[in-house]
Amino acid sequence: MRYDLLEKPDFSMVQVTFDAPGEQMVCESSAMVARDSAVDMKTSMQGGMMAALKRKMSGESIFQNTFTASAPGQRLFFAPSPEGDVEAINMDGYTPIMMQSGAYLGAAPTVQIDSSWGGAKGFFSGMGAVLIKATGTGPLFFASYGGIHAVDVGPAGYICDTGHVVAFTGGLTYNVTRLGGLRGLFASGEGLVCHFSGQGRLWMSTRNSASLVAFLNPFRPVQKSNG
Amino acid sequence: MQIDIGYRPAHSMARVALNPGEQILAESGALVGMSTNVSMTTGMQNKPGGGLLGGLMAGLKRALAGESWFRNTFTANGGPGEVLLAHAMCGDMQVVEVPGTGLHLTSSSFIASTPNVNIETRLQGFGGFFSGEGAFVMQASAQGPNQLVFGSFGGITCLNCDGNLVIDTGHLVAWDSTLTYKVGKSGGGWIASFLSGEGLVCHFQGQGRIWIQSRNPIAYGQYVGGMLPPRKG
Repeated sequence: MRYDLLEKPDFSMVQVTFDAPGEQMVCESSAMVARDSAVDMKTSMQGGMMAALKRKMSGESIFQNTFTASAPGQRLFFAPSPEGDVEAINMDGYTPIMMQSGAYLGAAPTVQIDSSWGGAKGFFSGMGAVLIKATGTGPLFFASYGGIHAVDVGPAGYICDTGHVVAFTGGLTYNVTRLGGLRGLFASGEGLVCHFSGQGRLWMSTRNSASLVAFLNPFRPVQKSNG
Repeated sequence: MQIDIGYRPAHSMARVALNPGEQILAESGALVGMSTNVSMTTGMQNKPGGGLLGGLMAGLKRALAGESWFRNTFTANGGPGEVLLAHAMCGDMQVVEVPGTGLHLTSSSFIASTPNVNIETRLQGFGGFFSGEGAFVMQASAQGPNQLVFGSFGGITCLNCDGNLVIDTGHLVAWDSTLTYKVGKSGGGWIASFLSGEGLVCHFQGQGRIWIQSRNPIAYGQYVGGMLPPRKG
């Protein structure tokens, strides 16, 4: 199969063109935008009920859709929910990718997504989201609200607001700390920062939804008191 | 230092490359990430004073009202450093040099500057400068080479004023201090202004540049917020 990223960078969408019958792509439910009618779509609780429930706990949807081509040249288009970018990674079978669970968009079935891998509990405070791990080979797609900025992390390390962590390669070690007096400096306002070190790549978002929500909240109508 | 703006025009982020020992001053809530050798200190600059700008309409009540506005200092220690800065809202950013004649900005537009840029806050009397927004106006001045980063909600357009221009205050980002300006109602009276929906406008006179943003954050907040369930007051 081939894939293209369309409408980059603000409203990125993936176009997959299947080359042979039987080729498959697995996507988060609600990610599909369009497909050729002859592409088969099956909804499942991937990995069975228990795995699906673990996914629910980790912030992904219970259901995933598996798309199967029946002829060469068939197309599938899928996209994430927020405005922003999509990153495509060709998994090489050696380097796992850790992602914020809400960032996962889709992957070939040869990529295994482990939702039960807890990662650092509380990595993302207050959102109920955790880190999930991708291993295996083939295309993996993740997305973020805002732009996706990649940083090559070396021994000197890098510091990132946890609300802006999208994904990172498995070779990096990370340490989440809570800032006290300096929390107002960081963009998501939660005061949680992650210190990455080792050798690998970190993908960061240039926007975070907590700040958007904080901006909009005061504009909600005020509840009138009863009686 | 080198400041590069990426991910324009909607999700812009400034990447500030600092030489060893160099400093950048940035507003709170802008820091996304940084190299590990950058130290941060919060700082107080130019208290705007109390009694600011009560909101006229249900809208954003900036925590700034009554509080001090401050820039925070980021320093690269023992080697080159990097700081990533972004706005909360979707929109663009630009790096400009503050001219010797000075530059005015709206408080929500300021993102960062070199330490040699001096910022003073300017209060705008009756009714406030921005209807419903607890914001204020700043004036930047500097001697010698400098850099200032401002950001917008929406896209940034630079207008050349040569005579007169009228601009909705919610769409203002920055302007040359060579311009004189006066805030007023958009219509003949308060009712006309209210009905026009245009709120407060700024009348500019003279020669200079005015940077405007293509969306008004207050209008956007009301548009979306008005459709959301009520909150407890």
